[in-house]
Amino acid sequence: MDKFIKVTDVTKTYWSEDRKTETKVVLPLSLTIAEGEMVMFLGPSGCGKTTLMRIIGGLEKQDQGSITLAGDLLAGPDRRRGMVFQSYSSFPWLRVRENIKFGTRYRKDVSAAEKEEITDHYMGMVGLSAYSDFYTNRISGGMRQRVAIARTLASSPDILLMDEPFGALDAQTREHLQFQLMDINKSEKKTTIFVTHDVEEAILLADRVVIFSARPARVVKEIDVNAVIPVEDRRNNTADMQKFFSLRNEILEIIRAEYRQTVEAT
Amino acid sequence: MIKSLFVFRHALPRKTEIILGIFGFILFLTIWHMTASSGVIRPEFLPTPFAVAQAFVRLFTERDFASDIIVSVGRVWFAFLLSVVIAVPLGLMMSTYRAVGAILEPFIDFLRYLPVPALVPLLVIWFGVGETSKIAVLWMGTFFQLILLIADDTKRVPTEYIESGHTLGASNGQIMRHIIIPAALPNMIDNLRITLGWCWTYLIIAEIVAANSGIGHMIWSLRRFVKTPEVMAGIIAIGIIGLLTDQAFRFAHARLFSYQRR
Repeated sequence: MDKFIKVTDVTKTYWSEDRKTETKVVLPLSLTIAEGEMVMFLGPSGCGKTTLMRIIGGLEKQDQGSITLAGDLLAGPDRRRGMVFQSYSSFPWLRVRENIKFGTRYRKDVSAAEKEEITDHYMGMVGLSAYSDFYTNRISGGMRQRVAIARTLASSPDILLMDEPFGALDAQTREHLQFQLMDINKSEKKTTIFVTHDVEEAILLADRVVIFSARPARVVKEIDVNAVIPVEDRRNNTADMQKFFSLRNEILEIIRAEYRQTVEAT
Repeated sequence: MIKSLFVFRHALPRKTEIILGIFGFILFLTIWHMTASSGVIRPEFLPTPFAVAQAFVRLFTERDFASDIIVSVGRVWFAFLLSVVIAVPLGLMMSTYRAVGAILEPFIDFLRYLPVPALVPLLVIWFGVGETSKIAVLWMGTFFQLILLIADDTKRVPTEYIESGHTLGASNGQIMRHIIIPAALPNMIDNLRITLGWCWTYLIIAEIVAANSGIGHMIWSLRRFVKTPEVMAGIIAIGIIGLLTDQAFRFAHARLFSYQRR
């Protein structure tokens, strides 16, 4: 397998305020992700999956271990790793189009005219062209998340990091955005890490699901979803539901076992 | 009709609010007038609103009050802007670089609890009774408060905005200029408005203690002749200037930050 992103023996420990108690968040953890792959990080809440993704994004620093992207050793954050947050990170002082265009602001690889084209392209892709001149406090939460996704795509990152981006949305909006993301993924083939605690969301969107243990995070199981349910079937809503549910139950059982362990340990 | 005005936690039409606001003023003036003209309190202590209004006109026609106002407004704005140009960059640095905050915060917390009026004698010894000491009083009264307010506004910018900036490829300087400042600006402008109000409090103190011009000086010198209507007219003039400035700030705020309207 092509090792586009390579996480090697990464550890992370949080210390309490008085530096007396430590909490291991990530144990020595290794992981590889191929170019163009859509990987879902799944695990019990508070297990450290978000921390691992933030480390990959350069927003937090690991204690030990290394991360490489296409062979380059990574340190702090940069434009190669775009991030979509759970909370709405679109800028309230900018209109929808200006927000998306902000994604191109620090690019030196394209001309000013191309930046306009890129902006319009992604604004259309997330279906917000009609809301171009709206300030973001006058559009819905789902639309704001689409603004954030379009803004990140406009910056042309090598990988897309999504931290429970649909977690705060209602069920209908969430489903709509999940399918929209699958369409985007089909046309863009962007390497994506997507953190979620929603098992069905993970199965629906993933090429591969990585299931984490309770804290400290380690990989419990990796599942190649494409081998079970082809991505085309999921996208077209023609997936074999029997397979879908049995996969869901299998994953839920693993997570439940992990959860039980944590509860018993405390 | 009356009942519709008192619905629990219910909004009122803008027009009704304005009428009620004017009603509040009229109510105050009426009670004042009735008390003053009843003869219970001597007019040297409480003149009628009409006497004060006449005194207001006299101040302009006989005592060149307009130039006193210009002097006072000039002092307030000069000291205020002097505070702003230093406090804003320092406040931004304090919240951005922990070391700057750690050095300055305890020191400023100490300084801002010093009562400014108590510093006036010291400032007069240092700077004499000229303009410098008055500007220094106003500056001391606002600068240390403002710097902490600005630092707080900056700190309250959501981390996601800043992290988004990093992952979109912005440098630290670009994040400051393109994200932190625009994000914090509405609250900053609001705090500037409040700080400007404090300037007036300290101005009167400064002008009463050591000045030969300005609204505070005028009020204080008329006090000696028990010219109560003029003294009250002077106080009301400050209120009017304050109200107008405040409204101008609010108007500008609403225009500049129209995106905050829902």
